[in-house]
Amino acid sequence: MNVGLAIFWKDVLIEWRSRDRVVAMLLFSLLVVMIFQFSLPGGASADTQVYAPGLLWVAYVLAALFGLGRAFTLELENDALSGLALAPAERGWVFLGKALANLTILAPAQAATAFAFGLFFALDLTAVAAPLAGIVLLGSLGLCSVGTLFSAVAVRTRFREVMLPLLLLPLLVPIVSGSVRATTVLIATGSVPFEPIQLLVVTDVAYLIVCFLTFDYVLDE
Amino acid sequence: MNGARVTGCSLTKRFGHAVALDQLSLELAPGESLAVLGPNGAGKSTLLRLLAGLARPNAGTIEIDGAPAHRRSARRRIGYIGHATLLYPALTARENLVFAARLYGVPDPAERAAQLLEDAELGAAADEQVAGFSRGMAQRAAIARGLVHDPALVLLDEPFTGLDRSASERLLVRLATLRREGRSLVLVTHELAHAAQLADASLVLAKGRTVHTGRGEDAASLEDAYLAAVERAA
Repeated sequence: MNVGLAIFWKDVLIEWRSRDRVVAMLLFSLLVVMIFQFSLPGGASADTQVYAPGLLWVAYVLAALFGLGRAFTLELENDALSGLALAPAERGWVFLGKALANLTILAPAQAATAFAFGLFFALDLTAVAAPLAGIVLLGSLGLCSVGTLFSAVAVRTRFREVMLPLLLLPLLVPIVSGSVRATTVLIATGSVPFEPIQLLVVTDVAYLIVCFLTFDYVLDE
Repeated sequence: MNGARVTGCSLTKRFGHAVALDQLSLELAPGESLAVLGPNGAGKSTLLRLLAGLARPNAGTIEIDGAPAHRRSARRRIGYIGHATLLYPALTARENLVFAARLYGVPDPAERAAQLLEDAELGAAADEQVAGFSRGMAQRAAIARGLVHDPALVLLDEPFTGLDRSASERLLVRLATLRREGRSLVLVTHELAHAAQLADASLVLAKGRTVHTGRGEDAASLEDAYLAAVERAA
């Protein structure tokens, strides 16, 4: 567990100093919102609110792909990845530390994107901010768990920028499906639906367990 | 400090169709030091990464004090100082060492880091980011990182590369101290004089195979064995 916390602290500290990934994800997701504004018939407005939850999660997934793709590149410099693999601990803790750091680094971009969506789509999200944050957290947990695993797999391949989305996107179907359905119902009714949340929780738990157990093999050369 | 016993038996490692190590065996008693020599592509670094548990052999076994090298109990006894420093450039030397100490569960990471930084003569630069370090300073920080958990077996991959004469001499003194402390050392190097000075035994590789083993050799006999290996690899 200490290994996971040490890695979390290290990743967040490095990101705090450079702000590379946070700024890149933030700008990227805001650009995605702008593209939606111009691509929707009549632009993003109260009339197109029905698309907002799906588009919000498309922006989240794209921003996460952008950030997750770089999660392990910092470990390549000076072969620091070997330093993590050498730690005499269950390597699943390395995964958990990295996944938690990715989740934390993704959060500011998600908050800003939600704010931008609220403005563009004339949605008042303040009343549902807390449950929406909960749904985003559940969705992002699954996203960051498989994303961290496949980021570690892809980083040693020749075409890592292509490999990560190819490996990751099919596995995000239950996460995106549950998150979009939960967000849609929340925005429409103000209440949190049980079924999609159940799907998210089950998927998160399954992904976390599988990723924790398989990370040992990912770090082996 | 008790050194570690290293036993490698019929090790084979392939990368696709390329055979990096072919049926290689080695034995190192606790407290002994071994120099691994050979031309580029001989399989020296691959051997070191197998010993560190970073890679697993396709065939054969490798044990550190009786435990497979990739097991946690073996990793705890290994200090790996690779060709790369394993350091994060955006962190300071102190932060890098505290982080490494936490990875190894060292009881007081801050105190251990401070002690190692003093030993490495990096006390004044402890709170500077590693990105600004010279090659010599980064190498000293890398060695401190490799020793953060007081390992019984120290694996060094070409530690003299890129160092100027005075930095090389300081490193030589540091490695001699580690040897005197009773640690087992495995040193991959092209510096035959340093190998002769530091190692009890030598292993010369060519194309992944052992072409020479010896004990207590001087630099001249190591050079003969090394040149024979280069010829064989050509």
